[in-house]
Amino acid sequence: MNVDLIFRIAGIGIIVSVLHTVIKQAGKEEYAWLATLAGIVIVLTMVIQVINEFFETVKAMFRLY
Amino acid sequence: MEIVQILGFALIAAVLLVVVREQRPEIAMELSIAAGAMIFLMLATRIASVVQLVWDMAREAGIGETYVASVLKIVGIAYITQFGAEVCRDAKESAIAAKVELAGKVLILLLAVPIVRGILETVIRLLS
Repeated sequence: MNVDLIFRIAGIGIIVSVLHTVIKQAGKEEYAWLATLAGIVIVLTMVIQVINEFFETVKAMFRLY
Repeated sequence: MEIVQILGFALIAAVLLVVVREQRPEIAMELSIAAGAMIFLMLATRIASVVQLVWDMAREAGIGETYVASVLKIVGIAYITQFGAEVCRDAKESAIAAKVELAGKVLILLLAVPIVRGILETVIRLLS
């Protein structure tokens, strides 16, 4: 299991929050929101694979078909 | 020492969560889901051996396969339900968490029906 996924998600979170602040300071509130949304989508695509693997493991382990 | 590995992972995840939650609570939620799933995946081989142990013991004791399979299914559903409900509750959505728990309870009840029926049939056979 790779720990760097956690670091990657946290890094994206920090970058997104910095971007949000910078764009907000520039007076473009709607683009700041868009940047946050893009960050969430990117993180979700990364997390969804782990969730899929987790569900598949649980299903195989407890024979939930 | 697998526990040290998992503890280290959990501590790193907790620190990162505290940092990220301050700024972006929505990404912190995904981070916590990923951390929870990864800790389970780290434990997967161990849990699989415990499940195998249960199967072996049931086979030695001569318990029907269907009963053991139902019990294991119930454990699996309970684990997944708990996971989902905790994630929802972390996101301050306790209403959704309650519904997830309700769904888990209903599905577990449905799975338990054959076992309950078996017990009742045995009792009736003993009484008559």
